[in-house]
Amino acid sequence: MRMRAVTRLPGLALALAAALVFAVAGAAPASAYAPVNIVHTERVTAGPYVVTIGFSVWPLHAMQSLDFTFVPDGGIADKSGGLFLEGPDMPPHEKAQPLARHPRKRDVWGLDVRALPIQGDWNFGFAIDGPLGHGEGALAAPVAVLPQPGPPLALSWSITVIPVALLVLFVVIAWRRVRPGALVGHHLE
Amino acid sequence: MDIPLSHRRFRGRTALAAPGTRTGARGWPPAAIVLLGTLLSLFGLSWDVQWHVEVGPDTFFTLSHLALYSGSAIAGVASLVVVLRTTAAQRAGRAVDPRVGGQAVRVFGGVFAAPLGYLVSGCGAAMFLLVGLWDQWWHTLYGFDAVLDSPPHVALFLSISITMIGPVLTFAAARDLRWGRIGFLLSMPVLMAFSTVTVEGLSALPSIGVNPMTVGSAFLEVLLLVLAASCLRRPGATLVIGAVLGALQGILWLFSPWAASAYAVAVGLPLRDNVRSLPAFPSRIPLFLLVGAVAVELVLWLARRRGWSPRWVLPVAGGAAGVLLAGLTPVQAQLMVGFSGTALRVFVATTVAGGAFGALAGFLGWRFGIMTRAVGRPAAGTRQATEAGVA
Repeated sequence: MRMRAVTRLPGLALALAAALVFAVAGAAPASAYAPVNIVHTERVTAGPYVVTIGFSVWPLHAMQSLDFTFVPDGGIADKSGGLFLEGPDMPPHEKAQPLARHPRKRDVWGLDVRALPIQGDWNFGFAIDGPLGHGEGALAAPVAVLPQPGPPLALSWSITVIPVALLVLFVVIAWRRVRPGALVGHHLE
Repeated sequence: MDIPLSHRRFRGRTALAAPGTRTGARGWPPAAIVLLGTLLSLFGLSWDVQWHVEVGPDTFFTLSHLALYSGSAIAGVASLVVVLRTTAAQRAGRAVDPRVGGQAVRVFGGVFAAPLGYLVSGCGAAMFLLVGLWDQWWHTLYGFDAVLDSPPHVALFLSISITMIGPVLTFAAARDLRWGRIGFLLSMPVLMAFSTVTVEGLSALPSIGVNPMTVGSAFLEVLLLVLAASCLRRPGATLVIGAVLGALQGILWLFSPWAASAYAVAVGLPLRDNVRSLPAFPSRIPLFLLVGAVAVELVLWLARRRGWSPRWVLPVAGGAAGVLLAGLTPVQAQLMVGFSGTALRVFVATTVAGGAFGALAGFLGWRFGIMTRAVGRPAAGTRQATEAGVA
């Protein structure tokens, strides 16, 4: 019978899933994460503290993600504080955030694979609390973020809507075949 | 692709089965596998979002990515197998039951005969593969950013959504069988839950004083609710969909933080500092869909009792549900994440826009439901005969 082979599909799907699981499970996930390589630094004075900002990519381009590290002289062990980001069209509620350890470099504060979305001048500021008391400060000169690499966003979004366009085409064809408007009737059944 | 209206369009090669219990009953395994694949994608996405929020480090080879990608792979392979089986059956002159995935349509000039539901899920999975390559290229250019609404990510979400439309059509084609109705009531909430992330793409629209994601989400939810009511024609069906979506939200709420934490422990990675363990994706799934479903059911119930014309009742039902769903979105944000971030002017404009788009969704949803009912109809016969069967 025609459907007999179709009923064997669960076995096929399980085999496929198992093959994928074994293929990926062997990839040793923890060791697969890239190290944080700093290629450029800037210094910020925040009261009695000096913080070194590290960038894993330089120069910066809009939308291009990178790792940031924030390292106060003497380390982070006895300190806490906040990061203030100021840039074009930055939503107010995203400007301030507590300083957190970098997920792949736990001995420093940082941001992992973070992109600055818009080109222009961006500034980094810090409020640090530590053994020398409270200190605040920002970069003397903001960091210039260059235009985004790659094709214009309009082109990328045009490609994105291709699935929607195909779906709309499908619906239009089906609409013309079925003509549902004529079947709505005068009463709900 | 060509959707047949008559037997002639298959050039005499298709034998149409009279709907019988036997073939229809055997249609559930592949439909269930495709649904399982889409569920895997949904859970994989929720897990992945939570991973980025709570843990962070990303590569292609994470288990959450595996779930996300294998969901589409499973749905795609299952769809392909059914299409090949249907093609073989058609070429051998054997009966093709339209309740197994819907009417078989000609693909590539008749090289393949693809049941409509499996054609849609298969095309979605194939699109996912192509867009995945684009996403890989994007990451080589922009880095491994954890941005949900990048163009290739939104295209991936759209492809998965299309894959999820496939089982909705497949189960709708078998709605006169119990497994068809159950599958429909399960596949619809999966699509709705996933749409939560698909509408993220609307954030790229220029700001015009409304929240486009809230309006888009309300539009899709109302469209799918009214479509379900129109397709099944069973009072209370949308309430079941709302309840199933609520159950899915609850399961994902428990699963996502647990999976992210357990996987981090398993691979020896610490959790981020200063992170609230809030289920990121489940908190965006519409909490008040059931309220919208009640509005739709109530208006349709009144319309049936009083003989109101569906031509104006459907937009009214959709508009009411749209106002409720859009208006309650900030309430959900406040309840679930403790922050709505919506100014009063934007709230009012968004709620009004939700009502307007809800009305459009009500208008379209009922008609789409009629089209969906036609999926499982035998292709043979005249237009008049088939329309009588639909209406």
